Amino acid sequence: MSLYLKLAWRNIFRNKRRTIISGIAIAIGLASLIYVDALYIGMKINIVDNITKSFISDGQIHRKGFRQRQEVELTVNNPDKVIKALKKNKMISDFSLRTYSFSMISSSNNVNSVLLVGIEPDKEKTISQIDDAIIKGNFFEGKGDNQIVIGKKLADILEVGIGDRIVITAAQAHSSELSQELFRVSGIYYLNNPEMDKGMAFIKIGKAQKMLNIGDNFHEIALKFKKGTDLLNIDKLPFWKNFSKNGNEALSWMGLFPQMKVMFEMTNLSLALVGLILFAIVALVIINSLFMSIYERMFEFGVLRAIGTRPLVAFKLIILESAALGIFSILIGIIFGFIITLIYTKIGIDYSGIEVMGVTIKNIIYPVMELRQFIIYPVIVFFITLIIGIYPGIYAAKLKPAEALRKSL
Amino acid sequence: MSDKLIIKTENLKKDYKEDGVVVHAVRGIDLEIKEGEFTAIVGPSGCGKTTLLNLISGLDTPDDGKVWLDGKAISDMSGKELSDFRRDNIGFIFQAYNLIPVLTVEENIEYIMLLQGVPKKERHERVLKILEEVGLSGLENRRPTQLSGGQQQRVAIARAMVSNPKIILADEPTANLDSKTGSELLDMMAELNEKTGMTFLFSTHDKMVMERAKRVIVLKDGKIVDKSEIDIV
Repeated sequence: MSLYLKLAWRNIFRNKRRTIISGIAIAIGLASLIYVDALYIGMKINIVDNITKSFISDGQIHRKGFRQRQEVELTVNNPDKVIKALKKNKMISDFSLRTYSFSMISSSNNVNSVLLVGIEPDKEKTISQIDDAIIKGNFFEGKGDNQIVIGKKLADILEVGIGDRIVITAAQAHSSELSQELFRVSGIYYLNNPEMDKGMAFIKIGKAQKMLNIGDNFHEIALKFKKGTDLLNIDKLPFWKNFSKNGNEALSWMGLFPQMKVMFEMTNLSLALVGLILFAIVALVIINSLFMSIYERMFEFGVLRAIGTRPLVAFKLIILESAALGIFSILIGIIFGFIITLIYTKIGIDYSGIEVMGVTIKNIIYPVMELRQFIIYPVIVFFITLIIGIYPGIYAAKLKPAEALRKSL
Repeated sequence: MSDKLIIKTENLKKDYKEDGVVVHAVRGIDLEIKEGEFTAIVGPSGCGKTTLLNLISGLDTPDDGKVWLDGKAISDMSGKELSDFRRDNIGFIFQAYNLIPVLTVEENIEYIMLLQGVPKKERHERVLKILEEVGLSGLENRRPTQLSGGQQQRVAIARAMVSNPKIILADEPTANLDSKTGSELLDMMAELNEKTGMTFLFSTHDKMVMERAKRVIVLKDGKIVDKSEIDIV
């Protein structure tokens, strides 16, 4: 090790207590950044998981304009071709067809408007969590096409239970004729999502197609991507462009839920702000520590300058001390950050029940550690220590030897 | 001792402001010191001894007058040139030794050679040699705090001399030492002066230094009041 490095490293430990306090302050800042970053990733994954597994799925394909107008006639164009292409696509693990129509639902006691969704029950099980949310009855396990699954709130409004009769009235495509069918409640779900619990009802897709008079057509294809797909960056895949043709549009969950993308961007911004505040604290701690160290050793600097240390070398000595303090603090910070984050990756943080932008967090959030957190943040802290060292370094370089020798006498 | 002038000052002046009051620390000093001299600047506290040494070494800038070291006017040098000139031509010995406490004896001595760009192996060899000359062989790995005051001052002398400077400036070098240790050190410096031909210039009010000096310059209120040469033989 060069003598300059030895000098810097040993100098920072001349006042052990100060160095340890400064080091811990910087380390706590670094550890907090690592932890908050890991927590944000965990939270994002949790929210994305909630979105994609609820009903939205990883992505959807519709006829262009359907999402805005919700017209029954706007079924997916070239359905057979699209289905064939999806079956061939290596990124897709499963997909499910759906129909939609705004309908009237009535029981012997009450009436309500509802979004009637025709689904493929077996496939839907792999795509969404409706089947997992059943609190009474079952998810289309019985025989016959006249089964209907409704939300708990809707059941309360209609005052119906399992086995009770319900009448659905829907407008048919093209003719606008009304179609009416009798169903029996086979299942009641509770998703802890007011809109879905009150405003949606599920029937089998075959029955829905008949009621809406749309033949074998459908309004939506809900997509599930293979495991390992980066759902946080799914919108960057070429898939969406490839399937957005012939009058159809393919959108990832991010495209369907743009407010969540904005929220994630804001989260990144707030992380950057937290980082900025922490880095400012780190900067103040280092400046304070270095200046105290210089003032304490004023005579020594006078001697060093007297015996021929050039101003640039005096500057270098302070920068090296700053770097040494940075390395010491970073090592502690990495250890702190690793231990704290590791503990929370095991026990998690329970935010279940909290709603974020209309998405209810259902599961415990587990922070996610990434190698990046242990490289980028320490490197930033290290460069900050170097940059911060410039000011005290210039001060040391500009010290006039005679004044330095006099000041401490 | 040769006839070559190694230190020359001309009408050197320096004022300080202390609490708004101007203190005339050095008031027009003309001084000539020849190569190899062993000279003491004596006088009471506050007479301007340290200021004069600081001006001679370029640690401080005079308000008026000039300093020539080895024929070069130091006022014409840039900060960097002056640092390099001090590094290569002047050795400093301070009253309080002022070794760097976090460095070992060897590292303290080799620091100046590091500034000069001397290779590590040569640095080590020269440190061992100079430690032998100042009677501290075997102590190269000790920290200054593990040495006595006398030993620390010997290390300071070794540090001042290791780069073979032309001039050694010593500011009250025996002030913090007991008389026996101080006497031993002065003997050693006198011996080194004889042996190496380096010029020694002390500021002191220690009688022992005055007795051993070949020349004594008396300073009072920032002025030389008497110049005399003492034949120690």
